[in-house]
Amino acid sequence: MAIQQSQKPLELILARNLLTSVSTPAFLLDAESAVVFYNEAAGALLGRPFEDSGRMSAAQWTGAFGPFDGDGTPVEVDSLAVTDAIRAGRPAHGTFEIRAADGERTAVEASAFPIVASPNGASGAMVLFWPLDRNEPTR
Amino acid sequence: MILKVWGARGSVPAPGPRMNRYGGNTSCLQLSLPNGEELILDAGTGIRNLGLELAGRRRIHILLTHLHLDHIQGLMFFPPCFRAEVEIVIWGPASPEASLEERIARYISAPLSPVEVRELPCSVSFRDTPASEWELGGATIRAESVTHRGPTLGYRIACGETTIAYVPDHEPALGAPLAGLEPEWISGFDLARDVDLLVHDCQYGDEEYPEHVGWGHSRLSDTLTFAQRVGARRLLLFHHDPLHSDERLDELGVDARRSWRALGRDASEIEMAAEGAGVEVEPAVPAMHA
Ligand SMILES: [Zn+2]
Ligand SMILES: [Zn+2]
Repeated sequence: MAIQQSQKPLELILARNLLTSVSTPAFLLDAESAVVFYNEAAGALLGRPFEDSGRMSAAQWTGAFGPFDGDGTPVEVDSLAVTDAIRAGRPAHGTFEIRAADGERTAVEASAFPIVASPNGASGAMVLFWPLDRNEPTR
Repeated sequence: MILKVWGARGSVPAPGPRMNRYGGNTSCLQLSLPNGEELILDAGTGIRNLGLELAGRRRIHILLTHLHLDHIQGLMFFPPCFRAEVEIVIWGPASPEASLEERIARYISAPLSPVEVRELPCSVSFRDTPASEWELGGATIRAESVTHRGPTLGYRIACGETTIAYVPDHEPALGAPLAGLEPEWISGFDLARDVDLLVHDCQYGDEEYPEHVGWGHSRLSDTLTFAQRVGARRLLLFHHDPLHSDERLDELGVDARRSWRALGRDASEIEMAAEGAGVEVEPAVPAMHA
C-alpha cells in the first residue's frame, strides 16, 4: 500500500487555515524552515501574493525578501530568531528589515513560535510580522 | 471485503419511529476480510447488537477514531466484554495527557458505569495507533489525525487489492476551500486517496451548515467535493445528524446523487449508510490496455 507521503501534518494544515483567516501578516514555515504559506496581509506587505511565490526554501526567501539588519546588510538564515524557534522548539522575537517586491524596505518586528505536535520536535513555525512605524523608535 | 453498518448515527443515539430505516444507533461498522478476519470500526451503541453476533469469536480488534461518546458508548454493553475466554484489543489515538485506557476508563468507571475496566471478565488491552502503517488480521492499516474537535483519527484499511477509508467525524473544509486547495493541504487526503469505498461524515445539509461551522462535521457539498478530490470510487454517507428523520435522510440522499451527477459521476456510486445494511467492497477493475 504505497502512498505518497506528501501530505502536511494536520497541525500545519490547521495553522494555515488560521493564518488565512487573520489580517496580521503571517508566514508558515515547515520543519526545514521553508516558507510553505503566507497570508494575504503578508502578500500585501511583500507586494507579491503567495499564489505567485509558492513554496520558498529559506535561501530563496532570504534572497528575495531579506531580512536585513538596520544597515541594510543581509542577515544569515542561521542567525534568525525563527530558525532558533524551529530548531530549539521555543518561541523567539526579533526586529529587522525586509524588502518588498518593489524594492522598498520595511522594518518589522517578528514573533515566531514553533508548532509542536509530536515528541519528534516541531513540524514548523508560525511567524507573525508587525510592521514598525518608521517614526517610532525601534524597540 | 464486506462492510456491515451497525450504527450510522452521529452525536447521540436517536431511536424512534421516524428513525427506523436508517437507525438510531451511533457509529459502528464491522469489516469482514476475505480471510475470515474481522475488524470493528468504532464502538458506538451499534456495537451492542454486533456483539450478539460474535458469540464464537475469541479475539476481537476494535479501531476507535476518537473518544467522543458516540464512538465508545456501546463498549460497556458489548457482550464479548463479559466472556472470560475473549481477548479484545482496542486501538485509538495517542495522547500526551493520559493513556488510552485511562481516557476510556473515565467513562467505564463509577459513577458513570456499574463496572470498572479492570472488572471486565474478558482480557482487554489498549494500544495507541502507530505513527506508520501496521498489519492487523491480514489487513494493512494506517491511522492519521484529521480535522475534528479534539484528537481524532481517520483510518485507511487495505486488504489484497481493496482499500477503504473510514473518516466518520471530519470537517476538512473548515477555513479551507476544498475545491481549489492543493492535496497536501487537505486534511485526510492521503487516507482517502483512490479508495474503493470512502465512509465519510455527512452530518449536515448545506443549509444547516452555517449554524454549525467549526463543530467538526461536514455538509453534503463539502463531503462530495472531498470524495471527488481524493478520487474515491464509492461513497457511503455516514454520521447522520440525530435530528434527521428517515424522510430527511431520503431527501439528503436525493440531493447527494443529483450533485454527484453534476460532478460528472454516476449516482449509483453514492449511498446513505443505513443500520443493518451491508456493502460489498471490490477493487477497481484493472484498466484494459490496448
Ligand atoms: Zn461522532
Ligand atoms: Zn466526534
